[in-house]
Amino acid sequence: MELLTIPFMRHVVIAGMLAALGLAPLSVYVVLRRIVFVGAAVAEISSAGVALAILFGVEPFAVALALTVVTFLAFSRIAESPRLPLEALIGMLYAGGSAAAVLLIVKSPRGEGSVLNVLFGNILTVPLPLLWAMVVVFAIVLAIQYLAAKEFLIVAYDPDMARALGISVNLWNTVFYVTVGVAVALAIRAVGALLAFALLVAPGAVALCMVDRLGSAFTLATVVGIAATVIGIFGSYWFDLPTGPTIVGLLAALFALSYVYAAMKPA
Amino acid sequence: MPAEILRLRNATLGYGNHAVLTRLNFAIERGDFLGVMGPNGSGKTTLLKAILGLLDPIEGSVEAFGSDGAPPRFGYVPQRERLDPHFPLTSLEVAVMGCFGRLRPMRRPGREDFAIARACLARAKMEEFTEKPYRRLSGGQQQRVLIARALAGEPDALLLDEPTNGMDLEAERAIMEFLIDLQRDQGTTIVFVTHLLSAIEHFARRVAIITRDGSVIIGPKEEMLSPENLTRAYAAGVN
Repeated sequence: MELLTIPFMRHVVIAGMLAALGLAPLSVYVVLRRIVFVGAAVAEISSAGVALAILFGVEPFAVALALTVVTFLAFSRIAESPRLPLEALIGMLYAGGSAAAVLLIVKSPRGEGSVLNVLFGNILTVPLPLLWAMVVVFAIVLAIQYLAAKEFLIVAYDPDMARALGISVNLWNTVFYVTVGVAVALAIRAVGALLAFALLVAPGAVALCMVDRLGSAFTLATVVGIAATVIGIFGSYWFDLPTGPTIVGLLAALFALSYVYAAMKPA
Repeated sequence: MPAEILRLRNATLGYGNHAVLTRLNFAIERGDFLGVMGPNGSGKTTLLKAILGLLDPIEGSVEAFGSDGAPPRFGYVPQRERLDPHFPLTSLEVAVMGCFGRLRPMRRPGREDFAIARACLARAKMEEFTEKPYRRLSGGQQQRVLIARALAGEPDALLLDEPTNGMDLEAERAIMEFLIDLQRDQGTTIVFVTHLLSAIEHFARRVAIITRDGSVIIGPKEEMLSPENLTRAYAAGVN
């Protein structure tokens, strides 16, 4: 606990816990909806946004966030194409975002280093204003997820039933995708792409292996996300390891254990 | 109260400009027990979607008539194979979805909604499975939960898509007899879509046959199940 008396370590723990609190509950639907690579696509789109902002000399993160929101607004409108599976669309977002980022970085006066510095945060160097931004944005994300629980559930589980009940599938898919896009873009800025991606997938995957109730899955995913993050931060300090990969490794180990548990559990 | 719950007038149904069913003219009467049959890919689900209001006709009209001037409420029971078994939901959590249409946006279901869902599960003889994971139930039990979910919306009519698909004869009989009881005791209009001739032959009162040319013929079961009519639906003919 003496670790927490060091001011910057308090920031690290708070940033990690906030990222876990914001992303872990979303991870349940991200896994159930089979859109786990949305996290990777958001990273590339954010890169393109940052490169665009630097090219034109405007605030990078605001542009990255705006581009992410606009992209996911469009994504949610075409996500139900009868011609293409959703993963093809996510793959094209990833590829298109990567290409745009590279092309814009080539023309950027400050080069690749600045873009990556602005975009990919490090959990050890999260500034205080970013922590406050995480508090506000993730509070809104969690509130939306709690209040719109029935809409998110039925449009993901049975969209035809949702339509028959007069619930707008397009509207609530848009709300969901934009929520995920904003949360991931902010988390990448704070804790880096690898940890953000892991927190968007692993807690939900672990929880869905372990429990038979959706409500319990959200609770367990949140607990797993926060616990792995805090233990990983302390572990990385004690064993002198890089923090992000330590947390991700811990999440991967928890997933392996939960997967074995699910395989051995009677059907 | 109008005798008809739904009327199609010269309705052409399909997706975009692609017509699947053409110039349909028929009505579904209140309290009907109608089986809709046709081979796979003939447009049964398209017809169901149009009845539910999920698909606007390319031409013509599909009019629905409620008992009190308001639009009728349709309880939709999808093919249970379409629902993702990865979702960890109890039978009660599935059944309460039927109440979602009555709730305001961003309002979570409350005690009253769960009480309605429990009552509907009891009507479907599933009260002892309320807290059981839906994905671990048998096909027949899952079908009962989905019917309970549709009933939780207090529907004027139940629309069921392949309700006995993949079931053994005993489970098929149990589900269909439950639907017959619902129709008789509550006056609920039942429309079920199936490719199984046996379900139509044993349980439907009226039959709509989707023919190979994309039209629909409809009438009492005794008249409809003639070899000539069945040949219009199935290329090889049926005896």
